[in-house]
Amino acid sequence: MADEHDVKSSRHQESPPDPSRRRFLKGVGIAGAGAAIADHLAQTAEAEATAARAEAAKLPTAGPLELALDVNGRRRAVSVEPRTTLLNALRNHLEPAVTGPKLVCDQGTCGACTVLLDGKPVYSCLVLAADAAGKKVTTVEGLGTPEQPNAVQAAFVEQDALMCGFCTPGFVTTVTAYLKKNPNPTLAEVREACKGNFCRCGTYPRVFEAALAAAKGTVSDK
Amino acid sequence: MQQQSPAKKKKKIKVPRVVNGVDTLVEIEVDDDGSVAWGPNDKHALLNHRLPRVDGHVKVSGAAEYTHDRRPPGMLYGRVLRSPHAHARVLKVDASAARGIPGVKAVVASTDDPARKELVVLFAGQPVAAVAAETPEIAEDALRAIRVDYEVLPHLVRAEDSVKEGAPKVFADPKEPNVEPRDKRGDASKVAEALKGADVVVEAEYRTPIIHHSSLETHGNVVDYRGGEEATVYASTQGTFTIPGDAAQELGLKESAVRAVVEHMGGGFGSKFGIGVEGMLACQLSKQAKAPVHLMLTRKDEFLLAGNRSGSWQKFKAGATKDGTLVALHAVQYRLGGLGDGSQAGQPYIYAAANAYREGYSIHTHEDASRAMRAPGHPQASFAVESLMDELAYKLGMDAVEFRKKNLKDAVYHRQLDRGAREIGWGRRNKTPGAGAGPLKRGMGCGIGTWGGGGNDECKVDVTVARDGSVSVAVGTQDLGTGTRTYTRAIVAEELGLQIKDVAERIGDSRLGSANSSGGSTTAASLAPSVKDAAVKARLAVAERLSPLLGGAKPEEITFSNGGVSGGGKTLSWRQACAALPAAGVTGHGVWQTSLAGRGVHGVCFAEVEVDVETGRVRPIKMVHVQDIGLPLNRLAVESQMNGGMIQSLGMALWEGRVMDAKLGLQLNPGFGDYKLPGALEMPELVPLIDDEDTREAVIGVGEPSIIPAVGAVANAVHNACGVRVRELPITPDKILMGLLSERRGA
Repeated sequence: MADEHDVKSSRHQESPPDPSRRRFLKGVGIAGAGAAIADHLAQTAEAEATAARAEAAKLPTAGPLELALDVNGRRRAVSVEPRTTLLNALRNHLEPAVTGPKLVCDQGTCGACTVLLDGKPVYSCLVLAADAAGKKVTTVEGLGTPEQPNAVQAAFVEQDALMCGFCTPGFVTTVTAYLKKNPNPTLAEVREACKGNFCRCGTYPRVFEAALAAAKGTVSDK
Repeated sequence: MQQQSPAKKKKKIKVPRVVNGVDTLVEIEVDDDGSVAWGPNDKHALLNHRLPRVDGHVKVSGAAEYTHDRRPPGMLYGRVLRSPHAHARVLKVDASAARGIPGVKAVVASTDDPARKELVVLFAGQPVAAVAAETPEIAEDALRAIRVDYEVLPHLVRAEDSVKEGAPKVFADPKEPNVEPRDKRGDASKVAEALKGADVVVEAEYRTPIIHHSSLETHGNVVDYRGGEEATVYASTQGTFTIPGDAAQELGLKESAVRAVVEHMGGGFGSKFGIGVEGMLACQLSKQAKAPVHLMLTRKDEFLLAGNRSGSWQKFKAGATKDGTLVALHAVQYRLGGLGDGSQAGQPYIYAAANAYREGYSIHTHEDASRAMRAPGHPQASFAVESLMDELAYKLGMDAVEFRKKNLKDAVYHRQLDRGAREIGWGRRNKTPGAGAGPLKRGMGCGIGTWGGGGNDECKVDVTVARDGSVSVAVGTQDLGTGTRTYTRAIVAEELGLQIKDVAERIGDSRLGSANSSGGSTTAASLAPSVKDAAVKARLAVAERLSPLLGGAKPEEITFSNGGVSGGGKTLSWRQACAALPAAGVTGHGVWQTSLAGRGVHGVCFAEVEVDVETGRVRPIKMVHVQDIGLPLNRLAVESQMNGGMIQSLGMALWEGRVMDAKLGLQLNPGFGDYKLPGALEMPELVPLIDDEDTREAVIGVGEPSIIPAVGAVANAVHNACGVRVRELPITPDKILMGLLSERRGA
């Protein structure tokens, strides 16, 4: 879960320039590692590092970035700093805010902020907002509504797979994405799929049941 | 539709008594005054059924607005600067650079008030300043720009260090020693005498570490104050009504001018009462900036300054005779609550001992004060005594369940132990601990618990039936995720013969009828009776209006069922019936009814685990929890809470615990990356069983009882599996491997 987003696909040619943390790190980090690389590689690495460093120097590290995020099918203009995470942008910089994804740990351990980036589940606290530009961001709000829940959301209600509900958006998003990938999972596979999400109230067994029920299509519409 | 049964002359009720420091029940006979009754538990139309929670759809779709999600216009983001030292004198806080950052709107520092006595921080994490800024990013920059000069003082973060002679003092006040006596009970010399006559004696020491509540929504508030006479505080709290007074004091307003709103909250487990230091700071910032301030703690703040379950250190000497009778128990119990007193149920927890003595102390350290956490003091006491009972049983060569029954007078425990044993397949357990071929060893263990709970006369509920047929129930209480909204609606719907969707509930608002805080598993037992009373009164008020239309039937004889109202041989649809109401509708004002609430429960847990004796890893296989709770308002939600209790116990038994660096005085694991919560991969099969043989027609809370007995059950299962008795939680692989090693060396 929370797959590393694809480096290549995050390199967009359109402006503003891509200020990805990965490319920035590449610029400052490779020179140090270069010493450990065999001689014939070192030269290439050194040259690459110099180039990357030069490129990174051009990227903004402070000051506002004017971004257009595609959130649940709507184009949302937002002004954020390069360091602003996608989660932070959704919750605190969009107007009106998108607060379905929850900020719980802010360090990629709990999964409560899970969103789909081009259909893949990611921890939105580990993705820079700038890196989400040009991709489709789907939050739990984009999966269904209270009136028209998707099959996973309906199953969560029916199986009582939530208590306080603060982890629930993350679980719902994770399970929805997983069932797309594997529409007929076993219990063991569901558990594996949920391993990146924490719940403190103790809803795990019913989350598993809900995921299996949603997969089987045994959930009633309401 | 729940008609009152005809008044009987006498009825038996159970009343609480304290035996060995533990709440228990004694049955007495009282006059039956014909007060409101639930009726038999198996005769409900909605209650005691499986009801999906009514706030489920807004929660699964991200539409539910938690405190963390509030965004009043013009809102600023608050952040707290914590002390990096466990014990230090704050000499100077220089926030001038922070104030100069564009976007910073307010800064408060502990040294702002010259009249205030100097600040000595007593734990790493104690707030020394706070800021509010236009974005979270700017607020974080502002924290980094604050310079604090400290004079570092000697610290203590281990109980062993605090009790040493000549140790530094935790508190400056000479009246507050590092070790404070708490309670003392029994005659130590009689116990010593009785131990001489015992056939087996076990002397053992058990320890449990500090545990973190780890509510997924951190503590915090959104204080909406823009100057003027009124304020609204959105709070993540277990006590809606604990907020206005606290906030008013900080804001300099009247208590009645502050409204608290708790629409949805993301877990508390005992840690969220009152506005807290974070709320006080939010109020100060809001007052200074004249703008709303959103101050929710970060996860690291939460670990360091938002309370904890106290640790424990318990020393026993206990003896039993050949027939399995516990004849003597000597206990010394230390509560490890940091700056707080900690909590612990007295020993021998639940079990009867012919001769018992205990003495209890709080040992203080430079750590944030303990708070209540789900059954304060009980899991600690239960783990220790259940381990001890097991050790005695094995030493005697007695079955662990039989040994327990021998020392439990209450027949309910016998029945629950038998049921749990059947469900887990107790007969399959390892007859000799550690027996069996191969590295993967399975074992089983059990434990018991008790909780008082009960209700209080604190909830004022309004049930209003409008002329258009809509029904609403309003009370200021909060739903912690336990399903309060759902049963509140269900009680009213059932009383009026309607469906759950026909009723709307309004809760979480201090402008509504008062309600108690959610502590001690008292919410349901306090609230449900008041809701029932309001619903009965609303039903009778409607019936009174309808009497002329129903052939003059007496209001109490008019029945409400299946969306219809019947009497005098006629039936009206709900809509038709309500059309006869006055324009303002009718409202029933409900208050608490003793007859509808109960208190005092038991509870047993059985656990099966698999231990890999090559790696020391424990894999939970199955857990069964049997719980009596009188009338289960919603079986689905009750089972969910029981699952939650088992899972949290599992965390305490196997993975969780604060780790402190004694030298630095700092917590080494203040985050979910290093503090191991139970996760999806570790989940065993969980079997929550409601003990329906408890036919009390009374509401009793289930939150706390379900977290008590499992900790000991898991520890005992580990021993049964591999033969290693781990007396210090959590039971990590290193402890099992060391245990196996010392066994081998001993053999």
